[in-house]
Amino acid sequence: MVRGGEVQVVDLVKRFGPVAAVHGINLHMPGGEFFSMLGPSGCGKTTTLRMIAGFEQPSEGKILLDGEDMTGTPPHRRHVNTVFQNYALFPHLNVFDNVAFGLRRQRVERSELQRRVGEALALVQLTGFEKRKPVQLSGGQQQRVALARALVLKPAVLLLDEPLGALDAKLRKQLQIELKALQQQVGITFIYVTHDQEEALTMSDRIAVMSNGRVEQVAAPRQVYEEPATVFVADFLGVSNLMQVTARGADAQGHCRIRLEDFELQAARGDTAVSGDTKATIRPERVRLEPHGSTGENRVPGTIERAVYLGNAFQLIVRLCTGQSIQTLFQNTGDEMPYAQGAAVHVHFPADALRVLRDTGARAPTTDKS
Amino acid sequence: MTATSASLALAGNRSVLRRVRDWLGNPWGRPRFLVLVTWAYIVWSIVPVLIAIQFSFNAGRSLTAWQGLSLTRWYWGDPVDSVWADPTLQAALLQSLKLAGLDMLIATPLGVLLALGLARWRGYLAEASNLLMLFPLVTPEIVMGVSLSLVFLYLFDFIEPSTTAQVLGHVTFSLSYVVVIVRGRLFSIGRQYEEAAADLGATPWETLWLVLLPLLLPAILSSLMIVFAISIDDFVISQWLSCGADCDTIPIRIYSATRAAPLPSINALAAIMVYFTIGALLIAYFLFRFLTRGERAAGKAGRSVVADMGGFDM
Repeated sequence: MVRGGEVQVVDLVKRFGPVAAVHGINLHMPGGEFFSMLGPSGCGKTTTLRMIAGFEQPSEGKILLDGEDMTGTPPHRRHVNTVFQNYALFPHLNVFDNVAFGLRRQRVERSELQRRVGEALALVQLTGFEKRKPVQLSGGQQQRVALARALVLKPAVLLLDEPLGALDAKLRKQLQIELKALQQQVGITFIYVTHDQEEALTMSDRIAVMSNGRVEQVAAPRQVYEEPATVFVADFLGVSNLMQVTARGADAQGHCRIRLEDFELQAARGDTAVSGDTKATIRPERVRLEPHGSTGENRVPGTIERAVYLGNAFQLIVRLCTGQSIQTLFQNTGDEMPYAQGAAVHVHFPADALRVLRDTGARAPTTDKS
Repeated sequence: MTATSASLALAGNRSVLRRVRDWLGNPWGRPRFLVLVTWAYIVWSIVPVLIAIQFSFNAGRSLTAWQGLSLTRWYWGDPVDSVWADPTLQAALLQSLKLAGLDMLIATPLGVLLALGLARWRGYLAEASNLLMLFPLVTPEIVMGVSLSLVFLYLFDFIEPSTTAQVLGHVTFSLSYVVVIVRGRLFSIGRQYEEAAADLGATPWETLWLVLLPLLLPAILSSLMIVFAISIDDFVISQWLSCGADCDTIPIRIYSATRAAPLPSINALAAIMVYFTIGALLIAYFLFRFLTRGERAAGKAGRSVVADMGGFDM
């Protein structure tokens, strides 16, 4: 068991010509953590990872491993190893030689080398594959060889650059579980880069959500999903039901008073002290639908625009009388759909679930997020 | 327009010209038109060579009238005029092979290193150097020949026109070919294997030796082959840097013989040149297949991973 490495990234900036890919980010990853960097393409997560690995030199800033500054160290002398997106297994070497490559560079003696390679292959469940060449392996098997090749060197930190991107969905889910189990078993720090929010949410201890070279929020998966700090984070993870509102600061109970067109709502979560034009969000599973005519705070009338059967849940899209479209989600408990298309309802946003956000101006990519 | 032709048109019958065009085009298989054109070109370019080789087996002394088959007369049979008997022809053969061999051994390693350096060098000077590398390829050979001989006459006058000068001349223009070939392969390989090797603790030297060179093997073999073929074929530069009869290569000898009274032994000499070139090609090909034998997946007939990176499609 190797003790995990602590990585610190201080004021890191990377410029490619006039364009800055990374705008001065600060991250701290304690040892033994599964840390993910999540964001759309071009947000700077891969560039940051490559700087930690040593393949790019930062324009400004420092990278520290266990307190030691390794910004100037070339990649072959850093005590970190990388698993690449396309595996980068040496095609002219077989599985054994691939895994043994790093050990041979360290001049490890023969019997110990054989033992460690055998252990690494057993760890990824590929014992018996030593003589095969990479071209004879499936995608999942190649991925595991790449993992074994990196882990056999017992690095302090393992860097993974979207390693599951090239695999089909079922294999991806299986490997997600295996990777997480592996990390807990080996105990070292994993720094994982992905654009798939489900992947990040399932595996990570903490997630850094990035956009346009800046870190929007760093928190545990639960916080990032339930308590997004900015509009971008809310929109990028899951469905956000963003509503344009006018905030008027906090009231006596600490709830933010927001105005959605003609309706006064109370939001208990988020930046409750903010005032001015901003956005409010609520997760689909927290919205309650009540029959038309129900009264109480935070209720807005609307009509069911569409009812979708998802198998394990119902998705009801409601058009509020103010014009917004709200997505709601109900678990399938075996009963019929609660409301039919065209029914008039009152939408209840529980104050506890309604969140006022800070708009940093970052925009999530406009793809269909249904 | 009669009733029959109108009904034919209605039946969708195509004109003869249209049917020939469709048959040639063949949308479901190999396009027959392209195949025809390719074969026509191959025949047009190879038939003259075949005829020349055919006349090296001529029983008589004519280069144009077939006088019967003699397999060995001009190769080693004739005691006076055959390639084996005539010392000048043998000297030319040896000189050609010597130049080609030295050119291969010098230009290829230098070219590979040059390509590696150019590929890794970023910046404006790198762009300029990349362009400069192409100059020998586009410069007319006569210009190259004259300028090289001037260089050896005035600048490096300690080098007489000799085999040394010829080797230097050959290496100079062969380098560009090697660089272009190797650089192309480097580009399609990408930086991933180098990064992986560095990540695993390999120093830049180890990365070069253990990862890059094995992956560049097809390009290196192609380069060796191309350099051999170019060098053995070269006329202008060899002649301009020649010291006289001792430095004559096969092309020079063929040229001077053709102006005098040529015998089929010249054809035999040329044919030997062709055999050597084909031999080099075959050796390179089988060497490549042998060295990459582990990389072919079972069932994927013939193509290794390294070849898939565009190695041997020259």
